Amino acid sequence: MHFNLPLSKSVVVSHLGLTLMSASTEVQLFIPWKGASPLNLPVAWSYFLQPFSFPGGSIMDETVAEYIRRTVLKMPRDEIKMMLQKWGFLSEAQLQTLNFHQQKDNISQEVVQLCEENSAGIKQAAALDIIYNHIYQNKRMWSVYQMKKSGEEEEYFDIADFKKKFKGRIRSALKNVTITFKEYEDNAIWIRVAWGTPHKKPNQYKPSYVVYHSQTPYVFISASVLKSNLPLLCQALIVASNYRDIREMELRSHSLNSLKDIVFKRYSQNFQTYSPKPVQGWNVEAENADRRIVHENRSVKERIHRLNQESFGCGPQPKLEFAQYRLDTMFKSDPKMDVLDKKEPFRCLVKFSSPHLLESLKSLAPLGMADAPLSPLLTCITHKARNYFKIREKKESFVSP
Amino acid sequence: AQERQEQLQEREKFLKSRIQELRQRRDALREKVRQAVSELGNLGIASEPDPREVLEWKIQKCRELLRLFRLTGISGKLSPHGISLSLHTSFEGSLLDSFHLELQERGDSGRFWLCRHSVPPFIPLERLARELLPRNPRQFLGILCRHLNTFVGRREQLRKLQEEFPDSVQVLSQNSLCNFLSFRYRIPAESSGEFQEFRAQLRYRDPTGTRPDDVTAVTGDGVAVPEHSELLRRLPLHRALRQIHDTTAGTTTTG
Repeated sequence: MHFNLPLSKSVVVSHLGLTLMSASTEVQLFIPWKGASPLNLPVAWSYFLQPFSFPGGSIMDETVAEYIRRTVLKMPRDEIKMMLQKWGFLSEAQLQTLNFHQQKDNISQEVVQLCEENSAGIKQAAALDIIYNHIYQNKRMWSVYQMKKSGEEEEYFDIADFKKKFKGRIRSALKNVTITFKEYEDNAIWIRVAWGTPHKKPNQYKPSYVVYHSQTPYVFISASVLKSNLPLLCQALIVASNYRDIREMELRSHSLNSLKDIVFKRYSQNFQTYSPKPVQGWNVEAENADRRIVHENRSVKERIHRLNQESFGCGPQPKLEFAQYRLDTMFKSDPKMDVLDKKEPFRCLVKFSSPHLLESLKSLAPLGMADAPLSPLLTCITHKARNYFKIREKKESFVSP
Repeated sequence: AQERQEQLQEREKFLKSRIQELRQRRDALREKVRQAVSELGNLGIASEPDPREVLEWKIQKCRELLRLFRLTGISGKLSPHGISLSLHTSFEGSLLDSFHLELQERGDSGRFWLCRHSVPPFIPLERLARELLPRNPRQFLGILCRHLNTFVGRREQLRKLQEEFPDSVQVLSQNSLCNFLSFRYRIPAESSGEFQEFRAQLRYRDPTGTRPDDVTAVTGDGVAVPEHSELLRRLPLHRALRQIHDTTAGTTTTG
């Protein structure tokens, strides 16, 4: 569909699929059918019939408006106000004018209108996206990368320097990118990168997210689908943080905080200490309120509890969703049975999944579903900071690359 | 350098007199114990002490020993896997975080290596372990303790600063080790309630240093304020700001 319209003033178009080609007297409109619902078209037309100008005199980019609109639509209705407040781009007075009890479609339209008044650009839109993704970080899959030092100690970390080097490295290879930073109080630096190509503007709907804590060798990346940009991203990170090399660890999860707990050693490990805190034994008395019940195997239960605590510690476990073991070992059977004709390694993939894998592993022995202590292959996950393993035939112990 | 020499000599004198003081107290306490014991003997308690009381006394002694271990800052225990060490950090008399290490010995060589730990990643643990642990475990522990204590001290100073001055201090940037910090602070200039805005930037070059090496304090217009930077250099952050507040209030009321 193709429209030619003479216009005397510049207008703002902020709806699905309408692309403003030029803001001069003549405007060509391309309306792709995908996403353009008949309901929205009349509203779009109304903008043309009543052109209006802005205090700043500048037009908000149509793509920016659309992106803000879709970002607001993603938010749960009762959280929109809070996120807009965190964003800080709209004034308190402007937020008061919004009606948060109507349909989200309408709320988002109103938000976009206010953004137009303030002449929002892609920077502000990206900042709003970071806020949403920071709160809903567990919707994304995060991988952990480890960097290696070049040898000299760094005196201190200067964030301005980091940002400059990061942007510089990326822009030297690719001009069409949107890079946004946001620092949080726990020293986490969030970086959002929207990637384009030499000929196309950045795709704001498939950005990569990077979370970095200064002066640590770990980076958490939730890559976009466009995996080809990953090497450039990694390059920029080591340049900016003064490291020599970066490699992907075999550790992935949706829970970013749990990944941080594992590599920052914030989870509860079982260390033997002369600590004055009370020993947390399995309290039979609490479970045995009824004196008519006698626990015959109390010592067994206590032993299981003790072994379990040695493996998993006494605190809450980091939240992982799966552990994957790629087996490349020989099948061991009774030689008389000779199950396999050829002496070939038995290849298979074993994957454990759970909404909270480590807690469920921890409860296996006390529930009687497995013997305590559990296999070290399962209990070493947090200590080795990995949930992807390759097990090869090598003297009964596993070797992972 | 001259100043530093004088400072060290003063510190030495102070510590020596403190040792004297503590020795005198120890001798006085010993005397008290001796007297009490002899009094007990005079009372002629010959019967067997109650076993329950003895047990309670033993438990109490144990608890006190454990508390003593914690207060020294380092405690250790032999574990099935090796040696388990706990490093307890403190700042201005409060016990703060504890960090743990597990060391194992390679055969009988007397050389140790690091097995497990709960030290945060921005402390250069691996480098220290690589350089010092095999040959000189004591030095390794000493230096690691200092890194941890100074880090926790800097973090605690920042926390106290924000706690005591929630409305007048705004942190602009910090990092994980808390050795680079910049913040805005405002002081009520006149009793009329007007505020003067300042900005400060602190840098601790030495990771085991408790005092910042580079301090710049400027007004909103960029004019340096040497009195403020001197206070921030000498005192812990929250105390420096308290003093800045007090001196500014003092001059305005008298001036």
